[in-house]
Amino acid sequence: MSDLEIWLTIIALAAATAVTRCSFWMVGEHVTIPTRVQEMLRYAPSCALAAIIGPDLLLDAQGGAEFSFHNYKLIAGLAAIAYYLARRNMLETIVFGMACFTALRLLLT
Amino acid sequence: MSTTQSEPDVAAHHAPSWRAGLIAGSPALFGIGAWGMVVGVAMVKSGLSVWQALGMTLLVFAGSAQLASLPLIAAGAPVWVIFLTAVVVNLRFVIFSALLAPHFAQLTLRQRFLLGYGAGDMTTAMFLQKYPSEKPEAGKVSYLKGLLYPNWAAWQVGSIAGVLLGSTVPPEWGLGFAGTLAIVCITVPMVASRPALAGVVVAAAVSVLAYDMPYKLGLLVAVIVGMLTAMVVEEWLERRKAATDV
Repeated sequence: MSDLEIWLTIIALAAATAVTRCSFWMVGEHVTIPTRVQEMLRYAPSCALAAIIGPDLLLDAQGGAEFSFHNYKLIAGLAAIAYYLARRNMLETIVFGMACFTALRLLLT
Repeated sequence: MSTTQSEPDVAAHHAPSWRAGLIAGSPALFGIGAWGMVVGVAMVKSGLSVWQALGMTLLVFAGSAQLASLPLIAAGAPVWVIFLTAVVVNLRFVIFSALLAPHFAQLTLRQRFLLGYGAGDMTTAMFLQKYPSEKPEAGKVSYLKGLLYPNWAAWQVGSIAGVLLGSTVPPEWGLGFAGTLAIVCITVPMVASRPALAGVVVAAAVSVLAYDMPYKLGLLVAVIVGMLTAMVVEEWLERRKAATDV
């Protein structure tokens, strides 16, 4: 992307913050969201985040799926999920995951 | 703004509430700053220049949406796809704003816009914990500001430090991976039920299979399929529960 395109993207992202966070503040009155819509709103963010993690962990630089011991990100990512489930601490999990990733990278290459 | 006896002035500065907000929010500030730092590092490691990364943190102020946008920017996805992805990741804020806004209906449009823009996850959660009821109460705005301003400052300080630090670290360290790990940590607690788990697994699988779709649309397709899966599973579980209850 060119410098201009990246700045346009940043402005679009700022707009995405504004339309979501400010939405009902601008209406200013009490609004009830229907249950069906609330359910959709509840499931969408986790699905979006999972859809970002998926290719990050599974695909190699050429875009092919890689299920092997050479996929350090996948191994470190799965270890980090296990660590988070056990400890429920974000910073520790990031440090632990990076340590796994770095250890695999240094030991196996 | 005129107020009557029966309706307390929500907007007037109220020192005890401001201090209460500062005190309530302070334990979380270190974590916010550290999380900001991770996003700061991830931004420069994904290829943004230092100025672009600083512009992003100051203007966007939404960590998970920023992290979500980085792989798309690196892959050269169109701006509208990145915008839609950020809106989807931010959808929880629509619910938050519906919960927060009725407390502040008396404020001017500009004040409402700015407070809404600054109210992230932590601020919203802590405010609603203290004020579950929407009825007007003196000090509500002061309490919100006591939570919001330090939260904003801690995030920006951490994030700017991360941008400057990240630009000095060699790329082989793979520090950008910290961004992925951070998203993992936000996603796991969201997966609190079986429908949510089904949705997340399906969304991840579809995003890998549909990775080569034009305009990086695979991501949005994955979100829609994952969300529908979650709702179908929920429906099915409810029906099965209803059947066994009879």
